[in-house]
Formats: sequence, C-alpha cells, structure tokens
Amino acid sequence: MRNEIELEGIIEDYLNGKLSEAERTAFEQLRKNDPIVDHKVVAHKVFLESFGEYANVLDLKAKMDRAHAQIDVETLSEELRPHPSYIINIWRKNKAAIAVAASFILLTIVTVYSIQQNTKQIGSVELMSREMAKIKNSQSSLIRIINSKQVPNAPKHTKPANFGGTGFALTANGYLLTNLHVVDGADSVYVQDNKGDSYKAKVVRTDSQYDLAILKIIDKSFSPLSNLPYRLKQSGIGMGEIVYTLGFPKDDAVFGEGYVSSRSGYNGDTTQYQVSIPVNPGNSGGPLLDHQGNIIGVISAKEKQVDGATFAIKSKYIQEALNSIPNDSLGKKVAFNKRNSLQGLSRNKQVEKIQDYVFMIKVYK
Amino acid sequence: MVSNKLSSSVPTDREVVLGILNDSEDALNKLYTGYFPMILQFILNNNGDEDDAKDVYQEGIIVLYNKIKGGNFELSSKLKTYIYSVCRRIWLKKLSQQSKKTSNISDFEDVMAVEVDLEQHEEKDKQFDKMQDALLHLGEPCKTIIQDFYINNLSMQDICEKFGYTNTDNAKTQKYKCLQRLKKLFFQV
Repeated sequence: MRNEIELEGIIEDYLNGKLSEAERTAFEQLRKNDPIVDHKVVAHKVFLESFGEYANVLDLKAKMDRAHAQIDVETLSEELRPHPSYIINIWRKNKAAIAVAASFILLTIVTVYSIQQNTKQIGSVELMSREMAKIKNSQSSLIRIINSKQVPNAPKHTKPANFGGTGFALTANGYLLTNLHVVDGADSVYVQDNKGDSYKAKVVRTDSQYDLAILKIIDKSFSPLSNLPYRLKQSGIGMGEIVYTLGFPKDDAVFGEGYVSSRSGYNGDTTQYQVSIPVNPGNSGGPLLDHQGNIIGVISAKEKQVDGATFAIKSKYIQEALNSIPNDSLGKKVAFNKRNSLQGLSRNKQVEKIQDYVFMIKVYK
Repeated sequence: MVSNKLSSSVPTDREVVLGILNDSEDALNKLYTGYFPMILQFILNNNGDEDDAKDVYQEGIIVLYNKIKGGNFELSSKLKTYIYSVCRRIWLKKLSQQSKKTSNISDFEDVMAVEVDLEQHEEKDKQFDKMQDALLHLGEPCKTIIQDFYINNLSMQDICEKFGYTNTDNAKTQKYKCLQRLKKLFFQV
C-alpha cells in the first residue's frame, strides 16, 4: 500500500517534470523493465489530461456564468423574441423570397407594359387642334403659340386665340367644315382666310359620332367665294394613294404630302384612313385631297409617339354628316360641285386654287 | 434587423483570438456579451427559451475556445459566422433529439460548415460528462479533496489542515484511495 502511494507520487512528479535528471533516468529504466509500471504511467497520464480538460471547461463555464450575469437577458429577449405580429414574422422569415417575388412582379409589369406598347395602338391619339397656350409646357407635344399679331382688318378681338385648327369651305356662301374637337366648348370662333382677313363664325351643326362640325361665317364683311374647285369623293380610296393636305399649324398655310397607309384608322376604326403624312397641332379639320384634287377625308388626329400615323375621317362620312343635317338648318342644300375643276392641274396649281377655300379656325374658350 | 445592433459592442476578431490565447477574462467577457444577443435571437425565434440560449451559447463558446486554443482557428473565417454556425448546429441537434421539427428554421446570419469541429467537440463533451459522473459517484470528502488538489492546486499540507487529518501521510493515503476510486469510476464508465 505504502509503496503504491509512493509509486503514484513518483509517477505524478515524473509526468509533471518535477523529477531530477538522475531520478528521471532511473524511473524510465524501471518503466521499460516493468510493464505494470508502464501501464500505470499511461493510465495516469490519460486521467490527468482528462481531468485537466474537465477543470478547464469548468473554469470556462464559471467565467461565462459571470459574464452571463452581466447581461440583461430579459430586456434583450423582449426585444428579440418573435414578433407577435404574423406579418412581421413572415417578413423576417421570408425576406429573400419576398424580395424575389417583388422583383419578379415588377419585371412582369414592365414586360407586359412594353409588350402592350409594342403590339397595340394604345389610347394615345392626339387630336390635331392647336392648344396655343400649352406650348410653353412642352415642345415635344408639337403645340404652338399663335403670336397675338393684330390683324389690321379685324379689330374685333384683341386677345390671342386659345386654340386653332383648320377648316375648309363646303359652300361658296360661307359654310365651313372642321373637326368638332377644334370648336368644342368654344365661346367664340373666328376664321381667317389665306389673305389674313378674319371673320366671325358660329357653329351651326355638330356631329360627335364622326367628330365633325359645320361653321357658318356670319360676318357682314364676308363676301361669298367663287365656286368651289374641289368635290367630295364618294367612293373609297386605295392604299398607297398619294394624298396631300393644307392646314394651319402656324399662321400661314402649310402644305403636307403623304400616302394612304391603311384603310382603317386608330385601333381598326373603319370610319377613318390611316395616312402617312406629316401633320402638327393645327392641322385638325384640314381637307385631305387625292392627286386629282378630290376631297377624300378630314385630318383629325395622329398617334402619339408614332411618326406618320395620322388619321383622317373618310369622305363618305362627311357626306353622311351633311345628309343628316336638315336642309332648312343650312338655309340652302349643301351640294358639292359635280365637276372637279382641279382635275388635270399640276400640284402647285391645285394648291394655289384650294388655298382660298381653306381657313384657319381660331377658337376662344 | 435587430442583430445589426450588435456591431457596436463587439470586440474585433483579432482581439478575441489574442485574448483567449492569453487567458484574458476580459476578452472572454467581451466576446460573451458581444455575441449573446445574436444567439438569443436565433433560439427565441426557433422554439427555444432563454435557458436554451444560454446552454447552446456556452457550448458554442467552448467549441470556439478549444479551437482557438488548439491553434487552428483561421481568422479568414469570421468569428461571428463561426459562432452562429456552431450554435445553430448544436441547437438543430437538440431540437431533433427532442423530436421537434427542424425544418423552416429562421436564420439571421450566414452559415458555414462546422461539422468537423462539432464532432471533435462531442468527443470531448463525452469525456467531460464522464468525469462529472465519476466525481458525482465518488462522493464526499473524496470529491473535494481531489478538486482541491488537482483544480485548486492546494498542497497536501493545506488539505491536511482543511480536513483535519492528523498528519500529511494520512491525507496522502486518503487522497490516494480517492484517486484510485475515481480512476476506476472514470475508466469503467
């Protein structure tokens, strides 16, 4: 028993490196010769190491407990515990998924929107009446201010017109045709001819279905025109037909030429042609003529952000509109010449003749 | 996110590693208080309570501690990520042991692979439990004598006085007997 205790003391000292050089050599000799002693050394070594680690962990835990005591766990867990609100929990758990879903939806919207933009003529036709006052806002919307130049022959009004369009003579005695949207809601309407003379006019008839309006010049200074040079073409006109128009996007008449690009108008509207012709605000109500000088339509609108997609109301509907008007309201039956005096004339001669019958419509609202 | 609040009070990774290598209790304190909220949040949001958080976190810190002490903690891996991953792994294991579902875990940080470290840790943890059991079965006064001698580094003389033995030889004999029994308990379990 006693020897055992001493042996263990020596083993411990040996393992802890406390033996002197001589003692250590002697003990190692003993270890070699006696397997039992050797086994005891190994076992004790393993035990001491395990115990050392046990002690270390115990020490670490004690230190951590002290650190833990400094933390206000309750307040912290109040802050960090799952939020009672279901939605916030969902948000916390699925942040990534929600983000992905949101970007997907956004992408879809953008894609669908752009597809629609590309495949459909979406509701953005621009009526070609001039909104003079609006030009300040945007140059790209092609609206223009009429300079309030005083026309010496027409001292009746001093303020500039708010809106402008074009109209053309239906009869020699002062009936004009234009678009309804040009004169819609007007307080007063003046028309100005090619020479710069202004006449007061009134709206005598409107047709909202085809966006047409008939004006009558009521000014006493107006002297009747000579016979109309053009006639209304009753039959339809084919694609590719060269056409031209005269209008007032500015104070002087402007000539524009193009071709019929489709037999239907905006979104397949069969009452209109689609015409590839440069028009600007102010062209609304202008006559559309073919190369022989027949009126085949009335310029009414163009598609926004698309170049050369102008729409013109077919002449057939002009006639329908005229026919629906009781004779007595116009005083005298409106009848176009059967004969077209423009036929066979060169383009510039045609325009020269027509321009006396095309008026700038000035509208005050 | 709430866990972002941690950053202010957390020591740098280098401070922690150097502190632990030099047995600084202050460094341990900073480490402990710095990352506890992160684990608390994780446990509370995944079917655990404050006590679970404390147990899991302390186990995680022990793993980190051993890894740093073992000299193979690379600073390339972020300390925060490491602690989070270890604690997460430990908690998932506990959950599955309690046969609670471990799917749909709410995560708050990045996760890295820590399986190898945890296997080593489990081995050590078994040894710890074995030693704890052995000491428990040893009973008094043996347990205290052994702890005083091997942990608190008391001399035989001190132990002799503390336990009222007539001389150190008696104390030595007693300690020898206790140690023999403890070894027997430890190796046999």
